[in-house]
Amino acid sequence: MKADSVNKKNSQVLGKRLVRDWNLNKWKYAMIVPVLIYLAFFCYKPMYGLIVAFKDYKLTRGIGGSGWADPWYKWFASFVSDPYFPRVLKNTFLISALTILFGFPAPILLALLINEVRNGIFKRMVQTITYMPYFISLVVMCGIINVFCKQDGLFSQIAVLFGGAAQNYLANPKYFRTVYVLSDIWQKIGWDSIIYLAALAGIDQEQYEAARVDGANRFRQMVYITLPGLMPTIMILFILRMGNILNVGYEKILLLYNASTYEVADVISTYTYRLSFPASGTPMYSKSTAIGLFNTLVNVFFLLVTNAISKKSTKSGLF
Amino acid sequence: MKRKLVALLLCGAVALSALSGCGAADKDVASDRDGVGEESGVGEDVGKNDGGSKEDVSGEEAGITYPLDGGSVSWYAEGNINPHEKYADASESPFHIGLSENLGVDIDWSFPTAGSDGGTFTTTLLADASSLPNIMLTFWMDKANQLLDDEVIWDLTDYIEEFAPDYYAWLQTNPAYDLAMKTDDGRYYAFGFFREDGGWNDTYEGPVVRRDWMDECGLEVPETISEFENVIRVFNEKYGAVFNASYIRYKDSGFSGAFGSYANANSNYGWYIKDGIVSLAQSESEWRNYVSWQNKLWEEGLIDQDILTEDDTTIKSKIHNDKCGISITTMGQMNNWNKEREAEGKEPVWIGIPYPKADDGTISSVFGGPGIGTHTTVITKSADEETMKLCLKVLNYAYTEEGFLYWNYGTEGVSWEYDDKGVPAFSDMVTEDPDTDPITKYNGTTWGAPGIQATNLLHLKNSRASVEADDAWFYVWPDDKEKNLAVTSGWKWPVGTTFLAEEADELDEISGNIPTYVEESYVAFLNGSKDIDDDTVWNQYLNDLETYNLSRVLEIRQACYDRYKAR
Repeated sequence: MKADSVNKKNSQVLGKRLVRDWNLNKWKYAMIVPVLIYLAFFCYKPMYGLIVAFKDYKLTRGIGGSGWADPWYKWFASFVSDPYFPRVLKNTFLISALTILFGFPAPILLALLINEVRNGIFKRMVQTITYMPYFISLVVMCGIINVFCKQDGLFSQIAVLFGGAAQNYLANPKYFRTVYVLSDIWQKIGWDSIIYLAALAGIDQEQYEAARVDGANRFRQMVYITLPGLMPTIMILFILRMGNILNVGYEKILLLYNASTYEVADVISTYTYRLSFPASGTPMYSKSTAIGLFNTLVNVFFLLVTNAISKKSTKSGLF
Repeated sequence: MKRKLVALLLCGAVALSALSGCGAADKDVASDRDGVGEESGVGEDVGKNDGGSKEDVSGEEAGITYPLDGGSVSWYAEGNINPHEKYADASESPFHIGLSENLGVDIDWSFPTAGSDGGTFTTTLLADASSLPNIMLTFWMDKANQLLDDEVIWDLTDYIEEFAPDYYAWLQTNPAYDLAMKTDDGRYYAFGFFREDGGWNDTYEGPVVRRDWMDECGLEVPETISEFENVIRVFNEKYGAVFNASYIRYKDSGFSGAFGSYANANSNYGWYIKDGIVSLAQSESEWRNYVSWQNKLWEEGLIDQDILTEDDTTIKSKIHNDKCGISITTMGQMNNWNKEREAEGKEPVWIGIPYPKADDGTISSVFGGPGIGTHTTVITKSADEETMKLCLKVLNYAYTEEGFLYWNYGTEGVSWEYDDKGVPAFSDMVTEDPDTDPITKYNGTTWGAPGIQATNLLHLKNSRASVEADDAWFYVWPDDKEKNLAVTSGWKWPVGTTFLAEEADELDEISGNIPTYVEESYVAFLNGSKDIDDDTVWNQYLNDLETYNLSRVLEIRQACYDRYKAR
């Protein structure tokens, strides 16, 4: 009896609270509507298309008209049994892991350094210069990289200056990953540091004062106050980044690779691209959709694992 | 209704102005499609009839008179049939307005969205097969069977003679044309693009050299591959220059003909035909010799290390800084190099030279084609029977004498006049126009279109040096037409072959790795990271090709070719 009445009371309270909340925030809710519509049309509706991964899809017959694949895992099996599968999987993981290993800490370091700079003009100058590459279109960016990496390009000239040999860095499989990762850092470091700078601004200044009173130098302040203050932001971004571990974008690789670097540069997305936009023959939409689905499942797996580990060790996670 | 139209025009305007920046580049890409990635080529009897087109296609006895008595059709086109970048849409474009007037038919034009690749865009339109435009310019020849069976496009066999008599007559002028434009079981389904010259301009790519350096070094135009190699060596000693080229140009054919081979790194060129047998050039000993020769030059530093990353833009810094004196490129690019030199106040020195032959004077192939395009114009099932008949008449126009002139030059007295020799020549309005490619404001056949491209148009459009270069590349055996055609296009996989639906599915599934593997192996052989002269390495390469289903792919292609031949 008693529990019942409590429940009843609670639900009444909940009802009242909802009504009040609605009255108070109805315009805020209205603002969410476009986002919901966007999600519904561009994220949920297209999911219907995933069905193609289990069909022998033909454009002219449409999704409904095409027959089911036999067996249902036909396209997944065809991908996994492809002689190129181990290579593209390995390359995807390696390039992604290297980008995370070197590319993820870079903007954090930059933000910490910028944070320590006291000279306002210099600080703003550094920020502007590091942001700039982000706004260059990828095609132009890769054009620049291409020219720099040539046999008579910038890097070769620097190498020669220090007694090395001139060579084309993009034609040598040994250097492809280095070029890829370094140029990635160069392009994104400034932009990615913005969020950390914002988080830094949120750290309570009194903590620093207290630390100074306790005799902590600036390095110690950074280690014991700034870094822990940044930790939740770092963790969330890291988990999100891990959720993209198999998403090495095809655009940049397509623009940078050539036949001499296929063996280290060919990744899942470029493989899929070749299936979807073949030089001759028909696009294989079913197989490329199957690969996309495979990719997503692996990504989700990594996201969940990272999230679990993060929750255990730092008590912060996405959900 | 009016408001809707205005909105539509505005949309078009925005789309086009966004496109206009890269208009010139688009054109170039479109013209590349000629060979790259598209399967083109045909047997020996191609082009027997070139030159006689105008007489053959007269429409008088056929009985269709233009303008027709009204009606309207919707028409999707792309590439050079897009309105010129200066115009917001087709309603402002002189070519499109004039075409509609001459035909007496309203045309509702549509084109690929700004910024998209025409070929891909065309294919994706199929995703909504029920609302296709009536007339479409497509690249669907290899899947014609499926499209006919799925009732996406009209089978024109029963109507073509009556409603497109001039086109039908044109096809009958050359067995190769007729062969290419129907399926294995004889169904007509498309209007093709033909070059009046029967393939001359399909050899738009070839070796070029700096004339001034040749003179300074006292060198003759090289005829054999040894002499060609010597030019590279002399230029290297004297100027420190090396052989270099834009990779997408070089990878197609290169100088494979001098070694008895048919392709360089691009396996789309590698599927060649000899004595009725389909083979892959990149799996044969001739190709091995060719690549071994390239490897020798590479090791000696005579081929630029950057060649694999070079494109038409980046190559220019080498060309204009005296780092390269001998190369392989297109008519258009060579023309650009010369023009850019002139803009800097230098002499235009680049000239085309013939493809080198083997030292014993033989040559198996040069870059080329049969003068038939792979872009065909089809009528879709969105047209009911009456509309379909109207569409046939509309498309027939380009193959009549009057329509041939209009599609190539525009309106007589406006964009062109007959010159003193009775040959069409563009008027000042076109020749003095400072815009890029002003010809395309008035004509439709500078590249793939349903029609016949006049050879005279190519002479008017290109510089003299370019035309001479094309002559040098194409006329390998100037005195023997048959022999010449065998070298320029006789070896190529034919245009208009159709795979059966099952074959097409199987090919898609099993053949995807061959192009990638061939290309990366080529590069490894070229730079020596794999030794092509080592038999173990070579045999391993052949074995790997086998695991990528080479035998099965050849089997399917052979069956397809045999059916084509038996049409």
